[in-house]
Amino acid sequence: MSTSTISLDQLIAWLSRFRDLVTEKQSYLTELDSAIGDADHGSNMVRGMNAVVEKIGAEPATAADALLKSVGMTLVTSVGGASGPLYGTLFLRMGVNAGPVAELDAAALGAALRAGLEGVVARGKAEAGDKTMFDAIAPALDAWDAAVADGADVAAAASVALAAAEKGRDATEPLVARKGRASYLGERSAGHIDPGATSSTLLFQALVDTVSS
Amino acid sequence: MIGIVVVSHSPALAQAAVDLALEMVGETPPPIAIAAGAGDGIIGTDAVKVAAAIDEVANGEGVLVFMDLGSAVLSSTMATEFMTTTDEVRLTDAPFVEGLIAAIVLANAGASLDEVDREARAAMGAKQSQLADQGGAPDAVDAPAAETPAADAPAADAVSADPTEVTAEAPLVNPDGLHARPASLIVQALAGVDAKLTITDVTAGKGPVSGNSLIGIMSLGAAKDHVLKFTATGGSAQEAVDTLVAMTGEGFGELAS
Repeated sequence: MSTSTISLDQLIAWLSRFRDLVTEKQSYLTELDSAIGDADHGSNMVRGMNAVVEKIGAEPATAADALLKSVGMTLVTSVGGASGPLYGTLFLRMGVNAGPVAELDAAALGAALRAGLEGVVARGKAEAGDKTMFDAIAPALDAWDAAVADGADVAAAASVALAAAEKGRDATEPLVARKGRASYLGERSAGHIDPGATSSTLLFQALVDTVSS
Repeated sequence: MIGIVVVSHSPALAQAAVDLALEMVGETPPPIAIAAGAGDGIIGTDAVKVAAAIDEVANGEGVLVFMDLGSAVLSSTMATEFMTTTDEVRLTDAPFVEGLIAAIVLANAGASLDEVDREARAAMGAKQSQLADQGGAPDAVDAPAAETPAADAPAADAVSADPTEVTAEAPLVNPDGLHARPASLIVQALAGVDAKLTITDVTAGKGPVSGNSLIGIMSLGAAKDHVLKFTATGGSAQEAVDTLVAMTGEGFGELAS
């Protein structure tokens, strides 16, 4: 299977794999969220991604923009917590950026993810070091762009992005949260890995699993 | 009337807050819609539901959106991208319960989006002033709601200079004092009346506060037997003062039993 581009079927496989990973890690995500939040991140993400997989199975999209927008809207209406509007915005903006295409190369997928991240930032006003999903996705996309500039394909870019996301995720542990429910805890939020950064890292894990298989 | 949208993680919380606020107004409340919960009975918020609620109450006068916390704010900002109305929609940082009550009363009296939002955002003032009286919140002595109406009050010189000025005093007979319900009746009685009226608790030496401000009136914390002074200027000043003296004498309809 070619990994120089990602097809519509692979995007769907990616989302399905993301669903499987959040399901596998549901109790871990909830455990992280119970330390610094309201203990619903695992169940919220599983519910949202189950709804996504069901929706895109029932109404097969014929282009990347339609697929990603449908994913975003489904998350907005099914998640309930802050990850609904945040992940929802990520996918909606990705869709707008991707346009009505049937496949994306590494540069185009990177640009779509970047547009998604910018949407998340506009929505949640998060900055680097606030202990949020931004702290995993932003370094991942920086690594992605650098790899693409060196000629990487989707699989290679996804692989370095995952490594950067994991590093960014782990670096949230000592941080004091400045956004979201965890920010109510102030100093007490330090010493725990951020659940949003953890689920965001799974997004890149799912991509690696999909395009490398 | 402006439209009001109440966004909460919990449908029960939103409904209870709205029910509480509606006790303050009569038969024809302003358009109110609730957007609470997500999916099937899940505690959470849903931007699509919020957008639908905004569209439901929009009627050309503007929409004020109250939110509890966290994702309610994110979902509401996102909803402003999904809604179809061209009405001005404002997400207010007013306190959820106090703000909603102040807003419903003032919206019902026909106030503009700006006025309702301002009053709602000052709505912590009554509680702050009440607790400050009891030494409970010393930092809040200068609560905004207590200040703002006072700033509107004419200085002594200006008062005597206005030929339309009318003043009258009346003792408060309500056993529970000038609490939220009578305060709301005052705001509604003055809605649309061509008069600028202030209320002073002469006994406690508090005020003057604007008769158009629910929170300002409540911040007086006027108790039974306190003497209220009503001072009004404007074309219908006499009518406004007479109305309030009459309402005060009748105990704001609370002396039926």
